[in-house]
Amino acid sequence: MKDGFRTRMSLLHTWAGLILSGLLFAIFWTGTLSVFDKEIDRWMMPHTRIHMDTARPLSVDREIIPLLAERAEGAKAWTIVLPAERRPFLTLAYDSAKSHIAQRNSFHPITLEPLPAPNTRGASNFIYPFHHNLTLRQNNIGALLVGIASMGMLCLLISGIVIHRRIFADFFTLRLLRGFSRANLDIHNLTGVVLLPFTIVITLSGLMIAHLIYFPKAPDAVFAQLNPPSVTQERPKSKVREASRKREQDVSSENEDEMTDAREGSRNSPARSRFIAESQGRVRPQAIGQPANVAAIDPMIAATESELGQGAVYMIRVSNPGDAGGVVALRLNGDNSVSQNIDNRRFSTATGEELAHFNSSSTTNVFNFIAGMHYIKFKHWPLRWLYFIAGLGACALIATGLLHWTQARNQRQGSTGFNVSFMNAHNIAAITGIISATGAFLVVNRLLNNREQFAGISSRDLEVYAFFGVWLACLLHALIRVFLNKQHGYRKAWAEQCCAIALIAIAAVGLNWITTGDHLLKTLFTHTYWPVATLDLVLVTSAVMAIYAARKLSVIRES
Amino acid sequence: MPKDLLLVAIFSTAYLSFALFALSQVRHWRVVFDKALPTQREVLLLRSLGILMLSISLALSLVRDGASFGSLLWITMIGVAALAVALTLAWRPRWLRPAGKLFSFTYPDTGRVNHKMNQVKG
Repeated sequence: MKDGFRTRMSLLHTWAGLILSGLLFAIFWTGTLSVFDKEIDRWMMPHTRIHMDTARPLSVDREIIPLLAERAEGAKAWTIVLPAERRPFLTLAYDSAKSHIAQRNSFHPITLEPLPAPNTRGASNFIYPFHHNLTLRQNNIGALLVGIASMGMLCLLISGIVIHRRIFADFFTLRLLRGFSRANLDIHNLTGVVLLPFTIVITLSGLMIAHLIYFPKAPDAVFAQLNPPSVTQERPKSKVREASRKREQDVSSENEDEMTDAREGSRNSPARSRFIAESQGRVRPQAIGQPANVAAIDPMIAATESELGQGAVYMIRVSNPGDAGGVVALRLNGDNSVSQNIDNRRFSTATGEELAHFNSSSTTNVFNFIAGMHYIKFKHWPLRWLYFIAGLGACALIATGLLHWTQARNQRQGSTGFNVSFMNAHNIAAITGIISATGAFLVVNRLLNNREQFAGISSRDLEVYAFFGVWLACLLHALIRVFLNKQHGYRKAWAEQCCAIALIAIAAVGLNWITTGDHLLKTLFTHTYWPVATLDLVLVTSAVMAIYAARKLSVIRES
Repeated sequence: MPKDLLLVAIFSTAYLSFALFALSQVRHWRVVFDKALPTQREVLLLRSLGILMLSISLALSLVRDGASFGSLLWITMIGVAALAVALTLAWRPRWLRPAGKLFSFTYPDTGRVNHKMNQVKG
């Protein structure tokens, strides 16, 4: 009976692994990189490589409102994102009478000079969205695929534990020098067992975050049974609310956008809006139509920060400035707690009086904790690095799992059927392919060096085309090598793509030096700037590892 | 600085606890001690000390960062510490001898730390 169960779990593990591992590797790889998305942004947007050490707190009334007054005439909402350590610039976003799509400008945190447009998506707007929706936004297809893969990952983790016969006896066993297959399986078992708490928690929380995508009708079912809204402070008609919500999404900060997008997908029904309003406290105030002045905002921040600590406010949204019904909402940063604090403080724009603020329920707090430990928006560098290391470990887990299947079959002489060859090519594209593609994304960013467009294509898009182009090229290369020589072609493909990774990584470091003058000696010692220095170091390390792997692979081929 | 020191202490205690767990297994025991097999008592003692160390590292995490950050830090840290012990055993098993010596110190009846490298059988 027990063996029968094991056999069935083994079958599940094999098939789920074969089908989903390529996708899972892409998700875990981009997720691991997203741990340092803001640092990658700094590397990709050289104008924003700014030291915050000497920055003083800005005065909203004296320094920021004048900037808005010049630019944002007739705007229905202002968004002010204050500079912070990982996002060292001031961002202002505002709509205009002509378009409700917000314009977004960045300013130097000290001089308040406007910064040039970044002309890149950076990691926060490409690698991070790829992690949760594969950049397939239409009908949430990408998010659903990620959801299916995550469910598969949970099955794989549990079935893997079931079929592992010697969990405790082999707990620390890592026989690296006993041939590739042995070492490969040991790495797979070790990372699978040792990182199990991390992988389970991160996969499960990832699924839970996007609950509104996976169960889109749940709020409808609940709220349809209830009477019309009872407790909300403002109750605009649903249509108005949807329109204003749309505007909010357009105007809101880069982080907030991503978060709502990751959580809720793109469309909201009235019931969903109500669910979000009641659980998250996100309600949009309406204009009354009576003109009024904007009260001083600095005292509001001071009042909030005297209660919650210095630097507690990271973003200020002024809805309907110049209207008597306007509201100033102060959003609180999550630097010092795992869960994002969503109890935003609200003040009347006209009078400066504090309005009732939202108190999240304990259910919401639990959810926010679970979501918060997935988002890692908090300020905790050791934990951020541990997530990164554990994420790389999870990537190794997935990669070794894929290799285990093909390697067992590659070693049987004369049994390289189509399925084995196909999986060989698949593995190469799934593992070295996406790593090369990520490198190419960085290289092209530095080649374009902040120009707006090249050959009529905007730089923002060109970088993404480079990513997918190189990934596709890696797949083609793997297919050609594997099907030209079914017996040994895959090794050649692995070795060559490892060389490609090394070349790309070195090129990225070199191009960063040439285009910005920030070489490693400078960013490490003379003008220390950790985000760029660390990314360069990681690139150099990956190049060294790739060269080592390529050399090992060619030695095996000769012997 | 005490926060950094605590971080080092959290990792060290977690690493030590997994090192002790590893030493309680025959395969890894042989690398460090000159006796072929650990006795039942030694295994029990090694494992209890391991659990003790693991609890100390949890306590230190909670002291350093409070309940929410502390528990997250500990969970991720023990995974990385266990990986580090496995890598040590794969490449430089002798590095676990200090842990063995430490153990001999707490339990003098046990075999002396072996200075000849035993062939690892596994």
